[in-house]
Amino acid sequence: MTDGLLPLLVAVPVLAAVAPPLLCLRTTGTGWYVAAVACAVEAALAALVVRSVFLGGAVRHVVGGYERPYGIELVVDGLSAPVVALVAVVSLGVLAFAYTAGPRRNSFYSAYLLLVGGLMGVSVTGDLFNMFVFLEITGLATYALVAADRSGRSAVAALKYLILGTTGASLFLIGVGYAFVETGTLNMVDLSERLAGSYGDRAVLASFGFILVGLGLKTAVFPLHTWQPDAYSYAPDTVTTFISALVSTVAAYAVGRIVLTVFTPAFFEAVPAARAAVLAFAAVSILAGSALAAVQTEIKRMLTYSSVSQFGLVIAGFALVTSDAVLGAVVHLVGHGLMKGGLFAAAGVMAARHGARTVGDYARLGYRSPVVAGAVGIFGVALVGIPPSVGFLGKWYIAVGAVRAGAWPIAVVVFLSTLLTLSYVARLLERLYFAEPTEPTDPAVGAGTDADAGAGTGADADSEVGARDPDPVADGGARADSRAPAAVSTGMVAAIVAAAVVVVALGFATAPFEAFLERFLGGVFP
Amino acid sequence: MSDAERGTYTESEVIMSTVRVVTPFVLTFGLFVTFHGADSPGGGFQGGALVGTVALMLAFAFGIDATRRWLGRRVVTVAASLGVVAFAAVGLGGVALGGSFLDYTAYKALPLKKPVKLGIEAVEIAGIGLIVGGVIAGLFFLTAAGPDADVDAGAGAGPATGDDTGAGGRGGDAE
Repeated sequence: MTDGLLPLLVAVPVLAAVAPPLLCLRTTGTGWYVAAVACAVEAALAALVVRSVFLGGAVRHVVGGYERPYGIELVVDGLSAPVVALVAVVSLGVLAFAYTAGPRRNSFYSAYLLLVGGLMGVSVTGDLFNMFVFLEITGLATYALVAADRSGRSAVAALKYLILGTTGASLFLIGVGYAFVETGTLNMVDLSERLAGSYGDRAVLASFGFILVGLGLKTAVFPLHTWQPDAYSYAPDTVTTFISALVSTVAAYAVGRIVLTVFTPAFFEAVPAARAAVLAFAAVSILAGSALAAVQTEIKRMLTYSSVSQFGLVIAGFALVTSDAVLGAVVHLVGHGLMKGGLFAAAGVMAARHGARTVGDYARLGYRSPVVAGAVGIFGVALVGIPPSVGFLGKWYIAVGAVRAGAWPIAVVVFLSTLLTLSYVARLLERLYFAEPTEPTDPAVGAGTDADAGAGTGADADSEVGARDPDPVADGGARADSRAPAAVSTGMVAAIVAAAVVVVALGFATAPFEAFLERFLGGVFP
Repeated sequence: MSDAERGTYTESEVIMSTVRVVTPFVLTFGLFVTFHGADSPGGGFQGGALVGTVALMLAFAFGIDATRRWLGRRVVTVAASLGVVAFAAVGLGGVALGGSFLDYTAYKALPLKKPVKLGIEAVEIAGIGLIVGGVIAGLFFLTAAGPDADVDAGAGAGPATGDDTGAGGRGGDAE
């Protein structure tokens, strides 16, 4: 029964994406409500599917009734179920954030829904070419969303992302082409069966290389990350929250799917150099991302480089191909989505309330926006990997997997990256709570709740902007920050707090993750 | 925006006469290609592209602004949107009739003569053809309107075209 829901997971948002432009003919400002209904339906569908996977194992749907290897297959199994759940929950959460934060244009929500459909498509497809199509839908919608600020900078960032993202997708497609030439099939399960035995072939190696580099570009691992800092920094804060939590996440999930389901651990056994190359790629990304994050002054850039590092971790987890490491990678994938989404949302609130865009701007904001600053603290500490939090759980299992696989360098790299993460998170927390009070004229110190403070801080924001550290990327301070949310509502703060609570709660959620992955890992590691 | 366009548009008797003569044939050929495809060479994507081109030709001959006003934003938006709706309806109809997504054999439950062929035709003509035609015209007018055009109130619809391109990609994939 639930298998009929899989096409709906993709069709509902795509179909709903049609409504905002149609409604545009009569009214404007209705897009949000369409998106809210669609995302609520999507969340309900995802809940049913995930529940069904939890109880009965993988759910399959054969599109058009053409069985594999001819037709396209949609599959949700233990690996994709957490990602499906994450996409559904985050798209609903960001929508709650967007109600006040904006943008409120109808066309924005059309792209938003299309992105949800694309992300779901990548997560549920069991066909390699179909995955390419959904990656492209995801990409196209993301380019439009990054440019939604409608400023020159965001347009350039979107164009840069478009060029690099299309290159990545093309490389992926070339890789798929090689695999197709070699095997004559595109279905992932069928591919894994037919690839067995020809792992050493040049076409297979080329296929693996092209697919991995293509997805590496989409995931933004070092040194293929160059589109990401601009795209994240110049997009509206609502968009950054959404895409930082999901877009790279789904691309990293695709890496895991390719490594584990299509090429399988047997490929890495037959070609140890491929595994070593991916691990080296990931290790460099972890260290370089953390180091670059540590030297940033702008908050959104710092968080972006942190993502580069965290996705290195996730890919390392998948490439280690031990059950512990894969569990860690999936946990970290979900955990990072929530932490980074929460951090970007909090950064948006701080920018709207206090005009704070750099680490220096965050001085003593812990006393002026205690709730949001507290959430930033929780997300930051979780990002470092301090228990109890989902960040700890993910890093722990990846490190354990590295040690058990005998890949000591990865374990050392994970440890080093933790220290580097601590260095930039600690810098942020020090600013938030322990900076010397340089502005004695601030009456709002420690007073009131966040919701109260929201309305009255316009004047503060004005006094704060301008006199701070020279910021190489700020808009010059002359005009209002168009990326920041239009206003801050209690609901936005509540969404951030809810994310923080989930991040901590998932720190105790080893059992459910293991339950999801048990059957899947049993199939991958017999 | 209209000033700039008046600047770029030159009324040319040669172009206008050519377009007047050629347009009916292009449109007919586009529809011809569109209506083939289920069991003969052709298809909604190629046909839709040809039909969409008609709007471009008219715009080159008679001015982009004038053509946009004549065609109307409603037609373009509704065409592209209806295409997506038709595609999804045929696809989900299969699920509703107990089959799977885009499962044309499920339509055998209905009193139709050739359910599989009709299903493919519906997706090709009402789905992909409309999407591609609508998006080509909409994207052209939107690009011509420039970056300062109000997407929500202008011709076509901004990311909505991105949306339909994506759905068209889906359609092309299923084709």
